[in-house]
Amino acid sequence: MWARASWRSFLAVVAALAMSRGVAHAQPAVVGLDGRAVAPLASAASATVLLFTAVDCPISGRYAPEIRRVAAHYAGDGVQVWLVYPNAGELPAAVRAHAAAFDYGLPVALDPGGVLAVRAEVTVTPEVAVFDRAGALAYRGRIDDRYLDFGVDRPLPTTHDLADALAAVLAGRPVPVARTHAVGCAIVRHEP
Amino acid sequence: MTRLVARAWWCTFALALVAATLVARPAGAQVSQARPVTDAPMSPVTFNQHIAPLLHSRCAQCHHAGGAGPFNLVTFDDARRRAAQLAAVTGSGFMPPWKADGHPDEFVAQPRLTPADVAVFAQWAKAPVEGPGTAPAPPTWPQGWYLGPPDLVVTLPAGYTLPSEPSDVFRIFAVPLPVSRTRYVRGIEFHPGNAAVVHHANIRIDRSDGSRRLDQADPAPGYDGLMARSAEYPDGHFLGWTPGQIAPLVDGDLAWRLDPGTDLVVQLHMQASGKPEAVQPTVGFYFGDRPATRTPSILRLGSQGIDITPGDGSYVVADHYTLPVDTTLLAVQPHAHYRAVDVTGTATFPDGSTRTLIHIGAWDFRWQHVYRYTDPIRLPRGTTLAMHYVYDNSPANPRNPQTPPARVRWGQRSFDEMGDLWFQLATESPEDRVRLGSEVQGKMTTEDLIGLDTMLASSPDDVELHDDAGVLALLLGRPSVAVSHFRASATLRPTLAAAHYNLGTALTSAGLLDDAVASYEKALALRPDYARALSNLGDTLVMLGRNQDAVRRYEAAVAADPAMPEAHNNLGAALWKRGDLARAERELQRALALRPDYADAYFNLGHVALRMDGARAAAPHFRRAAALKPDWVVAAMSAAWLLATTAESDVRAPFEAAQLAEHAAQLTGRADPRVLDTLAVAYASSGRFDEAVRAAHEAMAVADGALKKDIAQRLAMFERREAFVDKR
Repeated sequence: MWARASWRSFLAVVAALAMSRGVAHAQPAVVGLDGRAVAPLASAASATVLLFTAVDCPISGRYAPEIRRVAAHYAGDGVQVWLVYPNAGELPAAVRAHAAAFDYGLPVALDPGGVLAVRAEVTVTPEVAVFDRAGALAYRGRIDDRYLDFGVDRPLPTTHDLADALAAVLAGRPVPVARTHAVGCAIVRHEP
Repeated sequence: MTRLVARAWWCTFALALVAATLVARPAGAQVSQARPVTDAPMSPVTFNQHIAPLLHSRCAQCHHAGGAGPFNLVTFDDARRRAAQLAAVTGSGFMPPWKADGHPDEFVAQPRLTPADVAVFAQWAKAPVEGPGTAPAPPTWPQGWYLGPPDLVVTLPAGYTLPSEPSDVFRIFAVPLPVSRTRYVRGIEFHPGNAAVVHHANIRIDRSDGSRRLDQADPAPGYDGLMARSAEYPDGHFLGWTPGQIAPLVDGDLAWRLDPGTDLVVQLHMQASGKPEAVQPTVGFYFGDRPATRTPSILRLGSQGIDITPGDGSYVVADHYTLPVDTTLLAVQPHAHYRAVDVTGTATFPDGSTRTLIHIGAWDFRWQHVYRYTDPIRLPRGTTLAMHYVYDNSPANPRNPQTPPARVRWGQRSFDEMGDLWFQLATESPEDRVRLGSEVQGKMTTEDLIGLDTMLASSPDDVELHDDAGVLALLLGRPSVAVSHFRASATLRPTLAAAHYNLGTALTSAGLLDDAVASYEKALALRPDYARALSNLGDTLVMLGRNQDAVRRYEAAVAADPAMPEAHNNLGAALWKRGDLARAERELQRALALRPDYADAYFNLGHVALRMDGARAAAPHFRRAAALKPDWVVAAMSAAWLLATTAESDVRAPFEAAQLAEHAAQLTGRADPRVLDTLAVAYASSGRFDEAVRAAHEAMAVADGALKKDIAQRLAMFERREAFVDKR
């Protein structure tokens, strides 16, 4: 575990430095498919969902229909859902093809430096983070409880954690269970 | 040459696995806690030195480009990407996907890891470094077919697309197997076509058009629903595929028979990927050069009366069977659905000792392996085979498909529940196989009928269930049960001719001949040219002694369907009985032209020939009848009697007669007086008078009436060392 802890604290330091120094030299850590910087958390949405995913993670793919449903259901409430690809080494062409194949119809952010992943406190894909209008992290964890472990999953979920969290945020209530454990493919950082 | 190379690769793989030691399922997790630190590798764990050899030998046979796994585990980059996942899945025992306990070399091709291997993955995940040095070169996987170039490649139809949801989908495909003559199959190799979604395949053979009709009724390729009853494991062989499992080819003398007109039936279990996926598997067939001489037998233990109340966390299904003959156990295949949690099969030997044949302590529906024993297990006569499965229908079972849990009964849909343990057994002789087969068939069919009753309990108006139940009840010799099912079916579908026809056949079997005639007449009123109804009505009229009426119906049957061999045969038999020998011979020859291996027609033709031209003309027909249907006692007995007792001395074949009679005696357990009488005359014609006397005494003991008197006269002849010649 120490390796992951180290990159995370390392990145946190970089982010802190970037902020304190006014970001003059920092590369655009979070970019869209066109290579331009995007800022998913700097929006006026009533809530923002970051769905962390990866091009090569089977469990992430299997959640695509559920994510489409949640995004469609809450679109009218001013909720903005982003697809975030947090793994080092994800190539824009592969990400573009992946997002299209799974028909998400959602804006995409490449986060190869893990800036958003750190902000969202996520460690695997698929994992979601819900930020409220003020940009505070209201929920982080699983989409629902289908997966208990690798190879142990329910045919149908019994909880809908992401949808419940959104409902609470939109109603101005605290999310009852604000942090849950997600099962999936570990987010990878390559040490320089 | 390619085939040799490919096979050698597979053998190497199997041997490598044998070297691994036992990891019971939870052991990985225990070991990582309990193992002293000093047992950890001394130097840092690196990809090149530690991880690559493990991946290449234990994981990459599926997890390589073009393999059955959903991603690759070959290079450093592949492994670094999954370092944490590798530690987690090896620690939990989820991967490699081997669910059974047992000795490391107990089963063929067990991809196991040692506790030390599991610890290596755990250690490396903490610091997934590559070097120093270089990694060993990855193995080269045979491109295409592991078992070599197939003799026949069958591709499932294009155009089936798996939707993005739900998570588990089952679809059945029936594909004609294009062979123009009978082939003998030594094995198959299944290629999933889309490894990302095809999880496993149940593979059967359908020698009828049952599966094909179900497939054709669905406009898209394949169909949803249940496997047809006619889709079977061929000649005692398990077929099927789970990732990483390719059954080795069997010896040529174990091959299964593939006739023209047979369909391949593949039930795919697929797991959605989240997007639409095209799925088109391919199956390679490997042929031998000769028919089987040692066909295995299949035994299924289990219950089809499963009925679990909601919340029951420890429901048990148990069954057992004591072997009537010596056998050798080649393989087992457990089958259950989502609620099963613990699966056990045992053997209790005649000396009282027991052996666990299979134990899966954390049953996982997704991994339906066939477990083939490296050293087949001898199971002497008197060994009791048993299965004991535990089910958890409580909310504590995460795999429970119903939340909250509901009552669940037996059924083939994945949301129903099942509990079967299949055994593949080799017998010592064909006679033992027949004996085992008839017992086992009765046991399995009885259970199948219970299963239909279970389903009828929740769907009492399902006509197809009633029809299936009626057919099984007839097979089990329970015609009154068959009558009640077919009557229910005919009442539900009063305008369907086939329903009345079915009821007619059951009524005939039940001896209710007048009612049977009425049912056939109803079927014929709805469909006047119903050849099968005409033919069966003829049979029933024969039983009622109305031979002339019967002939009229048979004539109508052959007019309605000139290609129906049964109608020609039955007409021939009826004509023979009224002495119309020339016409009888013509009809029987027509039956044989339509079905060259028609034993009944040869048997009838033998009788006609005997009356027209004598024993010389008749003998070949009786021989054919007995050879074509080896478990037909009357055919063997008739052939033996003729060959032993004919007055045409140069047609007599005493040795062959004795063999046929011995076979018939074995089939009837030496309890039928006519068979034992035949055995006695056959021995006497060979000059084996002492044996003839013994057999005649045996026959006397179970005979009565006129037959007993006849046997007594013959016994007196044998005691005078005289053979019996039939002057009729």
